[in-house]
Amino acid sequence: MKLIACTEGHSSKIEAFSLEMIAAARSIAQAGDEVVAFFAGRDAEGASASFGAADRLIVARATKSDVIPAETYALLLRDVITAESPGLVLVPYSANGLDVAADIAARTGWPLVSYVNEIKRHGESLTIVAQMYGGKILAECEMQLPAILMINPGAFAEAAPGAITAVSVQTIDADPALTSGKVKMVAIDVPDYADVDLTTAERIVCVGRGIGDEASIDLARNLATMLGAEIAGSRPVVDNGWLPKLRQVGKSGQKVKPKLYLALGVSGAPEHLEGMSQADLIIAVNTDPKAPIFNVAHYGATCDLFDLVANLSDRLRAGSGR
Amino acid sequence: MNILVVLRMIPDSAGELQLAEDGRSIDREWLDFQLNDFDDHALEEAILLKEAGGAKVTAVAVGEGANRVLQMAAARGADEVVALQSEEDAMISSREIAASIAAMARAKSADLVLCGVQSSEDVFGQLAPYVGALLDWPHVSGTNRIVANGAVLRVTQERGAGVAVTYELATPAVLGVQTASKAPRYVSGSKLREASKTPIGRATPESSGFERSAEIITLRLPVQGGSGENLGGNAETVADRLVSILAAKGLARN
Ligand SMILES: Cc1cc2nc3c(=O)[nH]c(=O)nc-3n(C[C@H](O)[C@H](O)[C@H](O)COP(=O)(O)OP(=O)(O)OC[C@H]3O[C@@H](n4cnc5c(N)ncnc54)[C@H](O)[C@@H]3O)c2cc1C
Repeated sequence: MKLIACTEGHSSKIEAFSLEMIAAARSIAQAGDEVVAFFAGRDAEGASASFGAADRLIVARATKSDVIPAETYALLLRDVITAESPGLVLVPYSANGLDVAADIAARTGWPLVSYVNEIKRHGESLTIVAQMYGGKILAECEMQLPAILMINPGAFAEAAPGAITAVSVQTIDADPALTSGKVKMVAIDVPDYADVDLTTAERIVCVGRGIGDEASIDLARNLATMLGAEIAGSRPVVDNGWLPKLRQVGKSGQKVKPKLYLALGVSGAPEHLEGMSQADLIIAVNTDPKAPIFNVAHYGATCDLFDLVANLSDRLRAGSGR
Repeated sequence: MNILVVLRMIPDSAGELQLAEDGRSIDREWLDFQLNDFDDHALEEAILLKEAGGAKVTAVAVGEGANRVLQMAAARGADEVVALQSEEDAMISSREIAASIAAMARAKSADLVLCGVQSSEDVFGQLAPYVGALLDWPHVSGTNRIVANGAVLRVTQERGAGVAVTYELATPAVLGVQTASKAPRYVSGSKLREASKTPIGRATPESSGFERSAEIITLRLPVQGGSGENLGGNAETVADRLVSILAAKGLARN
């Protein structure tokens, strides 16, 4: 059986989760199986230099666009699926994967399970553990091959990076598909980290929707100042305009690894955890004892965040003699 | 432009989720259902597009409490509201409802279908790509800005690390909204009362046409806590403990 591991990059960067897709495929490949990595993008060389853990690499090389629109990626992938007849296609849960996985499922008619954390294989069927309800529930599912899985970043440890032998690389030209595609990339905006770079911050106080309103952000900001920490927010807080985009932690925000991460009123959805679960010390305050943030926290408290902020601020103020 | 926006009612996951006796579903008896957050943003984006360039917005809601949310949609500016019938006490699978949404898009001559980028019950796949593939229309998910210039859309998509990519595409199209260009608006009680007179259309579901994706064998709660320590719920004791934990780790400032 062939297993296709979908990988990604933009500009001249390979996405880190690409090696996780190859590892996920490897983890269930049996003797005689072949793990085929599929890459579409500008950095064909980077893909060849990194994806040695795969048995074979199919590169759709693009010269005309820094980002491959998902529509084009899915089209190229469909051709690969037709040519290779794989038993399993693994797609990352990424901005691109969100469009690719169900598109392929609809057009092949194959089953799809998303937000996958674990895969076990028994012959022609799979047992899958997938996340639902913001990570509050795990669903164990059984499905038949051929199938498509959308894998959570972080669920599988990265395969070792290394070069793949040139004979195992097959290159196709992505430019015609990019030119004829209905979705065209017109701009890519990379933020300016001059103002704030959470990825290098040693201490972060992160507020979630539990903070309630914009005015209350100041309470957390004062606490952050006392702790010498940067203030950050979950997606809803940033969406509401209460904090600038550069201060968002998570899947579409920054991936951080501070020495201290104090989460106030953050539920701990998988997309948030993706950005901060590697922090050295995670302290979570949430009135819901079942909040998934407690699954990654080193210390958890179920008191009201406002009571905690007030009490902690008092003690820190007293301690510093202010 | 005709816009169809999809509103899915899902269990409030900030509340407590309990497993049903069969072990394969969640107990829906006492659950609060609310509009999928991302669908709320899709609705807002639809109304913003209407305000910017004129459009007819049809909102279709599915799930428990659909009527209530459709009145809210009408109060916010939807021109037509339709409730799509769904199986009672079952999760809303986007794979299942995609064919119904695609059929409705055709019936309403929609130029644009908007829905939230995901929902907490779309474990068998996301709605925008399913509907896009069924209609063979282009689809882009994870949008945080949509601008229409006649039949040409400019769509900005969130990628990781704050990177944003802007695409251009022509209608008809399907977009999975992550964030509306502006935060969803509030509606006043008087507007809601006025909108409560809006007639609600009914639609019966189409067969999904897809084979079932997978069978849910069991649902379970994640193992709680891991190695973490529970400091309890008393803010004063928690604050005391945190001060000493931070001091011990050299993390209290100076
Ligand atoms: C493609 C994609 C990308 C995404 N990217 C990101 C991302 O980069 N970052 C991100 O954060 N999310 C991201 N999300 C969204 C994510 O799925 C969640 O919706 C989001 O993380 C929830 O934010 P929250 O925890 O602040 O809010 P909620 O889930 O609403 O949680 C609020 C919490 O506050 C608690 N609370 C309420 N009041 C109090 C109080 N007084 N005291 C203590 N606790 C209280 C509640 O119990 C609740 O647990 C993304 C989603 C998608 C689909």
